[in-house]
Amino acid sequence: MVDLETIRKKAKEIVSREDVKHLIGWRKGTFGYRVTPYWVEAPEDAEELVYSPLCNTNLATSLTLAEKLPLPKGQEPDRRKTALLVRGCDSRAVVQLLTERGVDREQVVLLGLPCRGVVDLRKLKDSYPEDNEVADAEWKEDKIVLNVSGEKKEIPREEVLDDHCLVCRYPNPVEADETLGEKVEPWAEESHPGVEELENASFDKRWDFWEKEFERCIRCYACRNACPMCYCEDCILDRLNPTWIYRSNNYSENTAFHIARAFHLVGRCVSCGACERVCPAGIPLGKINQKLVKEVREKYEFEPGTDPEGVPFQASYNPQDQEDFIL
Amino acid sequence: MSEKPRVGVYVCHCGINIAATVNVEEVVEFASRLPGVTVVRNYAYMCSDPGQQLVREDIENENLNRIVVASCSPRMHEITFRRTLQDAGLNPYYLEMANIREHCSWVHPDSEEATPKAKKLVSAAVSKARMLEPLEEKEVDSERTAMVIGGGIAGIQSALDIADAGYQVYLVEKSPSVGGRMAQLDKTFPTLDCSACIMTPKMVDVANHPNIELMTYSEVEEVNGFIGNFEVKVRKKARYVDIDKCNGCGECADNCRVKNRIPNEFDANVGKRSAIYLPFPQAVPAKFTVDPDHCLYLTKGKCGKGPKCQEVCGTGAIDFEQQDEEVEVKVGAIIVATGFDTFDPSNKPEYGYQDYPNVITGLEMERLVAASGPTGGELLIGEGENARKPKKVAFIQCVGSRDASVGNEYCSRVCCMYTAKQAHLIKEKIPDAEVTVYYMDVRAFGKGFEEFYDRVRREGIRYIRGNPSEIFKKDDKLIVKVEDTLTATPREDEADLVVLAVGLEPRQDARGVIDLLRLSQTSDRFFMEAHPKLYPVDTSTDGVFLAGCAQGPKDIPDTVAQAKGAAASAMIPLSRGKVKVEAQTAEVNEATCRGCGFCTEVCPYSAIELKTINWFGHEVNVAEVNEALCKGCGTCSAACLSNSIQPRSFRDSQIMPQIAALGVKS
Repeated sequence: MVDLETIRKKAKEIVSREDVKHLIGWRKGTFGYRVTPYWVEAPEDAEELVYSPLCNTNLATSLTLAEKLPLPKGQEPDRRKTALLVRGCDSRAVVQLLTERGVDREQVVLLGLPCRGVVDLRKLKDSYPEDNEVADAEWKEDKIVLNVSGEKKEIPREEVLDDHCLVCRYPNPVEADETLGEKVEPWAEESHPGVEELENASFDKRWDFWEKEFERCIRCYACRNACPMCYCEDCILDRLNPTWIYRSNNYSENTAFHIARAFHLVGRCVSCGACERVCPAGIPLGKINQKLVKEVREKYEFEPGTDPEGVPFQASYNPQDQEDFIL
Repeated sequence: MSEKPRVGVYVCHCGINIAATVNVEEVVEFASRLPGVTVVRNYAYMCSDPGQQLVREDIENENLNRIVVASCSPRMHEITFRRTLQDAGLNPYYLEMANIREHCSWVHPDSEEATPKAKKLVSAAVSKARMLEPLEEKEVDSERTAMVIGGGIAGIQSALDIADAGYQVYLVEKSPSVGGRMAQLDKTFPTLDCSACIMTPKMVDVANHPNIELMTYSEVEEVNGFIGNFEVKVRKKARYVDIDKCNGCGECADNCRVKNRIPNEFDANVGKRSAIYLPFPQAVPAKFTVDPDHCLYLTKGKCGKGPKCQEVCGTGAIDFEQQDEEVEVKVGAIIVATGFDTFDPSNKPEYGYQDYPNVITGLEMERLVAASGPTGGELLIGEGENARKPKKVAFIQCVGSRDASVGNEYCSRVCCMYTAKQAHLIKEKIPDAEVTVYYMDVRAFGKGFEEFYDRVRREGIRYIRGNPSEIFKKDDKLIVKVEDTLTATPREDEADLVVLAVGLEPRQDARGVIDLLRLSQTSDRFFMEAHPKLYPVDTSTDGVFLAGCAQGPKDIPDTVAQAKGAAASAMIPLSRGKVKVEAQTAEVNEATCRGCGFCTEVCPYSAIELKTINWFGHEVNVAEVNEALCKGCGTCSAACLSNSIQPRSFRDSQIMPQIAALGVKS
């Protein structure tokens, strides 16, 4: 793994570069276990960077946020690069963005970090409740060490890791300009959490399951905003003519929303789990996306975000592709 | 666009095709109340001259600016009515058709259902018509050259016709010689002309014709472009023989170290050849070719002390350093004449083709009875001292044709007659032979076929109606197990030789051709014509035409006829020197295009590229459509992540109202 000083030192170095505008990383939040994305604009800012099992946002999302506002005549656009800390899943998201030309490789500097998985705060909630004090956490071998109000607690990682991280096969960055620290051995076999279980359930059971889940959706769109792949400027959810999905918060429209989002992620979802972690209603969104990830892997042997030179799934065609789903 | 839409709706009766199930009066009454509709008329045959005249007059007198014709499929008459609009001075793309025949009257027997549906279709068409925009038809120059892919009789005939008309033709053949399947045949039914005798003059003609560039032992690698302007990459495979030096003497083949050890494909593998070979004596060009899969020097890197062929070649033509060569040519039209394969009877194990040497296919039979074949035309069974003339010969029809169990439901159209011909030839060579034909039906449909079939029967050939269930060996005899279905008698007939009348199948490598030229297949897997009746030699790709068995099984006269038809069609752009390009092309909205490039990847015509534009000071990538290449298929639009590319006449703003109108109760 990698120690924080190395990251901060390297980050300082990068931000000092002429051709780099800023570096995006994480810093502590204002209370409890919360960690927030952080824009390092100047070398001294790098001291605030953190890297721990609590860094549960996918930073690749930030890459597509920058707007290209019209420039006054004669003014040159800012051509400086954006630097980004990337773990396995963040880097896969960046790679997927590269293949979709959502991001220009020349415009980003990727600082790779190996990762042993992030914590799902919902799993901490009961046994290790957070208080207003800002808490800390770190990886220690196969355990997670929580530092709450000066008290250290060692927890086996299986207990608190995010479901996606438990089966992560890409703990090391797949694309980076430089990767710090030692590589982490992947710990998981191929599997899709919770998918098999649901697949085996009867149609009625599955229907009931999702009906219950989608009814709770409050349509805050946090999942969409946290997702590195949801970056369309003109989102189908916002479109009025035609209005594909109505704004009314009810089971029917909520379901339409989630199905639309899931389909828009087919062959694009990089299994980072960011959507599920931010959902205030606790809807297991990962299960929908993982089902589609599984289908794409099994039927088309395609895994998004692994080949920067590759062709996006929706834009690739092979005459031998399975077509058995066509009615 | 600022003028208010004044829509004219014309409802066609199509005789009684539409009027029998759709209440036309009711549709007219309904259409007259639709917004924007100025004139509604109905007429027995809108496509007739008086029908079209109605439209022309109304455009002039009523000042109509949008026309909806509710009749048949646009594939049938869209072009007809576009011309009508143009004649009347209206942009032809102000036309919208409502298909109330194929989509309505023909599929609904009941007027109760058909009439409301016709109303909806008309209402949808009016909704779309109101949003239509004028489009400009452009023309681009066409190359005055053609390419023919496949050097069988179909390809040869097409090439000769086009070349005779004065246009340059590139004839590409995969194997070392032109001639194809027809060159393999002995005699042709029903006239019993010698196949080689009528074929070789044509083969020589294509080689000598000043307008034909013959590219044998070559394959098409890549096709880009569109009608009038195809760019074709052809790979000329290395022959390892300099064809300018080779004089065809054959010394090399005689001295080859693997002489007579390699099955000769031309002889349906019943004869043998050397690793350096001329496929058959009349081959064109009469130049030798080294088989890179069998030549010792090329496969093992060593051939004795040195390749003997090279040693004995008097002209020094053999060059093992030769490399494949790639050439690029520009052509205005392409004819696909890639031919067929014969059915592999090992897929019907009950006939024991793989187990019994005396069970052979029809094509093998052709080579065995051919004077130029490996046996010099002598038909013998058994090896060495045991070789003898077969006394009992059985023919089994429909092997791999009309047989759903092997996936070929179609009739191969030639097997009945080639079997009759082969039966006749056997009778001629071995007058005392007993020849039996097992058949399902005899389809003697062509000119002179029935007469020939009669003649063969009069010669004493026995026809037994029944599809044999099995061939097995008893002692040293083959037994054909069959039920004579005319008398309902089970039989077990002895035979010395069984000939399986194998059917015709699409070529194994057809997939490659489909991908190269974006062709479609019919359910029988042969290449699909643009319309089974009215465009039998055209394909879904403009400027690409079909000839011969690549399109479906046919005999030689039909193949030649189709080849001539394809040649005539291919010459249209060549002689005009200009081709129209699609007006309903895709258009990019540069303000919203994100430059993701999905459209460039999915475009089947490679018509889209990314370009960099200055967007308020920023350099951004956006898609750009090459309108000459775009066919308006809309694939880009389906893939677009930001709704930024749409085909003209099929924009969201046009089809959304159309869809919405279908949802309204009428």
